[in-house]
Amino acid sequence: MNKNRAGNFFLLLVDNLIWVLVVAALIIFSLISDRFFAPFNLVNLFSRMAAIGLLVVGQAFCMITGNFDLSSESTMGLTAMVAGLMMATAENGGWGFQANPLLGIVTMVALGALIGVFNGVLITRFKMNNLIVTIAMMMILRGVTYGLSQGSSPSFLPAAFDWLGGSSLFKVHLSTGKNLAIPVSGFFLILAFAVAFIITRYRRFGRNMYAIGSNRTAAEAAGIDPAKLILGVYIVSGICAALAGLLDAGRMDSATPRTGIGLIFVVQAAAVIGGVSLFGGRGNMIGAFGGVLLWGILDSGLNIAKVSPFWIEVGRGLLLLFAMLLDALRVRYMTRVAIRKALSENPIGLQDQLV
Amino acid sequence: MEDQPDKIMLEIKNISKSFPGVQALTDVSLSVMKGEIHGIVGKNGAGKSTLMAVLMGIQQPDSGSIMVGKGTFSSMTPHEALEAGVAYVPQRISMMGSLTVAENILAGEMPTNRLGFVNWREVFREAENRLTKLGLKLDVHSRVEGLSIVEQTMLVIAKALFSHAKLIILDEPTAALPRADIDRLFNFVRNLKTQGVAFIYISHHLEEVFEICDRVTVMRNGTVVATDDVRNLTTPLLIGLMVGEELQGFQRITPPHAEASQPVLEVKDLVRRGRYENIDFMIGKGEVVGLAGLVGSGAASLGMSLFGLERRGPGSVTINGIPFTASNPEQSFSQGLAYLPQDRYQYGLVGIRPVRENVTYPILYRLAMAFGMVNVEKEKKVVEEYIEQLGIVTPSMEQLVSLLSGGNQQKVVFAKLAATQPAVLILHEPTQGIDVQAKLDIYRIVLDLSQQGVAIMIISSEVRELLGICDRILVMYEGKIIHEFRSGEPETTPENILLAIEGGAYVEK
Amino acid sequence: MWRSKIGPFILDHLIWFVVLLVYIFFIFLIPNYLTPSNMINILLHASVLGILTIGQAICLMSGNFDLSAEGTLSLLTVLAAWLMLPYREAKLAQAGGIGWELHPLVVIPIMVLLGMAIGYINGALITRLNINNFITTLAMQLILRGAALVISMGFIMPGTPALFNWLGGGRIATIPISVVFTIVLFAIFSYILKNTTFGRRLYAVGGNREAARASGFNPKKQITIAYMLSGFLAGLAGWVLLGRLEVSVPNLGQGFTLETVAAAVIGGVALSGGTGTIWGAFAGVLLLSIIDHGLNLMQVDPFFINAVRGAIILIALLIEAQKVRFRRGMGKKPGGAAPVQAPGKLSGD
Repeated sequence: MNKNRAGNFFLLLVDNLIWVLVVAALIIFSLISDRFFAPFNLVNLFSRMAAIGLLVVGQAFCMITGNFDLSSESTMGLTAMVAGLMMATAENGGWGFQANPLLGIVTMVALGALIGVFNGVLITRFKMNNLIVTIAMMMILRGVTYGLSQGSSPSFLPAAFDWLGGSSLFKVHLSTGKNLAIPVSGFFLILAFAVAFIITRYRRFGRNMYAIGSNRTAAEAAGIDPAKLILGVYIVSGICAALAGLLDAGRMDSATPRTGIGLIFVVQAAAVIGGVSLFGGRGNMIGAFGGVLLWGILDSGLNIAKVSPFWIEVGRGLLLLFAMLLDALRVRYMTRVAIRKALSENPIGLQDQLV
Repeated sequence: MEDQPDKIMLEIKNISKSFPGVQALTDVSLSVMKGEIHGIVGKNGAGKSTLMAVLMGIQQPDSGSIMVGKGTFSSMTPHEALEAGVAYVPQRISMMGSLTVAENILAGEMPTNRLGFVNWREVFREAENRLTKLGLKLDVHSRVEGLSIVEQTMLVIAKALFSHAKLIILDEPTAALPRADIDRLFNFVRNLKTQGVAFIYISHHLEEVFEICDRVTVMRNGTVVATDDVRNLTTPLLIGLMVGEELQGFQRITPPHAEASQPVLEVKDLVRRGRYENIDFMIGKGEVVGLAGLVGSGAASLGMSLFGLERRGPGSVTINGIPFTASNPEQSFSQGLAYLPQDRYQYGLVGIRPVRENVTYPILYRLAMAFGMVNVEKEKKVVEEYIEQLGIVTPSMEQLVSLLSGGNQQKVVFAKLAATQPAVLILHEPTQGIDVQAKLDIYRIVLDLSQQGVAIMIISSEVRELLGICDRILVMYEGKIIHEFRSGEPETTPENILLAIEGGAYVEK
Repeated sequence: MWRSKIGPFILDHLIWFVVLLVYIFFIFLIPNYLTPSNMINILLHASVLGILTIGQAICLMSGNFDLSAEGTLSLLTVLAAWLMLPYREAKLAQAGGIGWELHPLVVIPIMVLLGMAIGYINGALITRLNINNFITTLAMQLILRGAALVISMGFIMPGTPALFNWLGGGRIATIPISVVFTIVLFAIFSYILKNTTFGRRLYAVGGNREAARASGFNPKKQITIAYMLSGFLAGLAGWVLLGRLEVSVPNLGQGFTLETVAAAVIGGVALSGGTGTIWGAFAGVLLLSIIDHGLNLMQVDPFFINAVRGAIILIALLIEAQKVRFRRGMGKKPGGAAPVQAPGKLSGD
């Protein structure tokens, strides 16, 4: 019985590990530097993490069904670039159409959805391996992004467009006499996760995602259409990537050909550390949000502590590896538990399993 | 019990089914009433699996009809079978493990409120309700992967009933269950019986069949031999029916051997927790010893752990007096023990590689020259020899193994094992999935090998096969060797052997 | 004769015909294409890609991906420069090494040994801890790149010693030594895979891991060795590349990974493992190099070229997916060739 308790505790710990880490990180960094806990820094954290957060939402959706979308960073870059080119004046690197910002946003989102459809169809209809397809798309889309931009980075985008990523909702007057701007993007980030949480917890679509990820055949037998669902999550991922592009371009007031490069690892890491299992069918949006938070804290904290950005790279990789290890162990543990239960109840007479 | 027309749940009439080379079912008829638990028993190869496949719509019968519930079919698709109310509970339960019991029950039809949002309180309540209606108590909040096997089995049955199943096929549901859980399962099933649910119960455990079934159908060689009320039957009678004419002088396929000379393989006190215990036996030079047992008896596990595919527990194993310490296949081969796996597709052959390579895998070290280069000349000669000796039919030795027929594929595996020149050869279901002609070839190969002095153990539940080629037959039941039959002695009859295998309790004649 | 001899011959060596076709295509497209210097340039690009592709092909044949090879390449080149170059005050994005000024004959073995060590770690993580090979090597790549950045601090390090550069930059009568080196490596590994016990074991493990085990092989060992070879080859590729560039660039080799996979797949190495030849992979490498080089000459935007690479990968995958349907394999799919009796899923029969 004691082993059972220990096992349950282990599971509890792993499932909520992310929050332990978040709290630990907060404590450590505020001890290292008092600049860390400054209101300005903390608030800035949210706006910096907003784009990544959106990508994590999209990625988590895919991962829960047991798939990956490694192309989202390039979708982010491409959609931002297209919008930027449409809206910026010719001197500022755009095509000169000076399109309406609303049109820009709509185009971005539509393009993101379209890319999601393309990915989804290749994976569900043509049964191609999702990892390789999305990596190939990552390359293709990035190439198209560069090709379209011809090296220029459209900037000085319309204020309306920048609003989501760059402006503040309201200002708070601080005791120090300064004004603290509360960013729209921070709210949007929280809003996005809230919506994602509601969908995964309270909508049939969301529950079907978990069903498919947990056991595709059983889900099919229950009447869930895997192809439609998986296509759906890739579309979601594409739209999230477009929104990430919107946030990023809004914050930087420009779209560069390199927007989004390298983010895919960060996004994976945040999701996995946040409890979204690589094997599918496990994890939730709250944990994923924790993963994003942790990332922001690490990013900010390590920068303030003046750690070389290169060590940060190494650290990121190690953290991802560690998270994956934990994930693999957790799943292995679950199957062990089932086997051990069966073994303990009856020493002889078990079906000869090929263990 | 008389067949009242309006109470018939399932009626199978004159179903026949054949596959290339074998007639699987011949004119099979049986019926199941509402609220009846109908057992189906028969040896391996009797046709139970094929019959169930037809019932589930996986296979189409050549002739005959199936009446289920309201409809009559001459052939069904799996979807139609489900619609008609036929549900199958497999041995390996597969559900959505990381989700809760409630979600598994309600997957695809989660209750929502007016706005389309999942109403969790309703989810748990509804799941609880449904289970209670069936008399099943489970914690709807717990994850399915945390349930015990019997709980998962009962949940699968419950789910089938929620999908309006009227006939549930239970396939060896008690294989992995301790007694207490079996009781639990049987109580559950009996309860459902009173609600009119019909069951087909397939099992090798005859005591259980007597315990839970109302009627029993015995199948043999693809036909129905008898159907009767369980009260009119006894275990010996059942076994007699399962075995049939083989009672009268079965054909000895290979000539009996001279008395076993010196022992080659000696096993003492072998034990593996959860699989087998107190294993003591010996195989002499040139002897062919059968090891018979049901799934769960430990026979399969014994074979695999001797070879090193599974972990072996403490105990002493010697070959020709030398301790046999192999813990993996490579060591086994070098210490003189070879093993033919039951599933040649998964464990026996690398399908996309040619015959030549497959045969020489274990003996590459012998064919290697400097720097690990393979002496292809020598290799071709060796493979050529075995192709001829064993009569392997293949366009060339470069042919991909996956393109050969089942029988020839098996011969390739034999070639591979023979090439290692083993002292001991363990064969697991060597003629499974092979046509009749190839079976005879395999028997001849076994005979040849035994004449060359190889000590052979055949793990099989094909009683006729064992009687045909073995000098002795060991029977395993629930992890122990319970009896040894010797060829030629009066007690060595198919019935007795089957009795030992299936019943466990062997009665001296 | 067509049906029995020529037909199958073309099908088996289809990729070479495609290479030829594409080459002819460029001859028409680009004026003065058929020059020795162009051919040499193609082969130069093919050399580094080729060496890495051998490693990837070996891993794929064993049934695994190695997505970390380019990271290994990056780290080893940075490390080599760092160890060999004299110390110099860093300025204008250039820096010197640590100042030890190790002799190339010391540094080169360090490179390949370290590459093998990295491969060993990959293999151990994947076989012992059963972590998905794709994600593991992907994460490893991240770590290796990070480490490369840490050592180089983002600076380029110019001025590698002439002895070191010999392999990558030297020529024998206009023929680059690196090209000869690459071809020799291909020949060696092709021979090993076709004719040695190692090759047999590798194909068996990749073709059907469990059957390989039951045949006396040790899949864990084989897979780990495959990864170690990939690391070893990454070290050699690093030696060639660094020697050719004569300067270490912090972000070296980006994009190579997918190209190696594409080249291998195009060349006939199945993603599912167990088949394919090294020379086939070479054909894939040639194809990609010709396309790369040709598009460059046509002054197509480099990132469009990358996009074209991605498209080629997708097409190669599509074809691969179709091939799988026709390949009746054992061990990968349950059941395999049609059994005589009813499906064996039910007990007893």
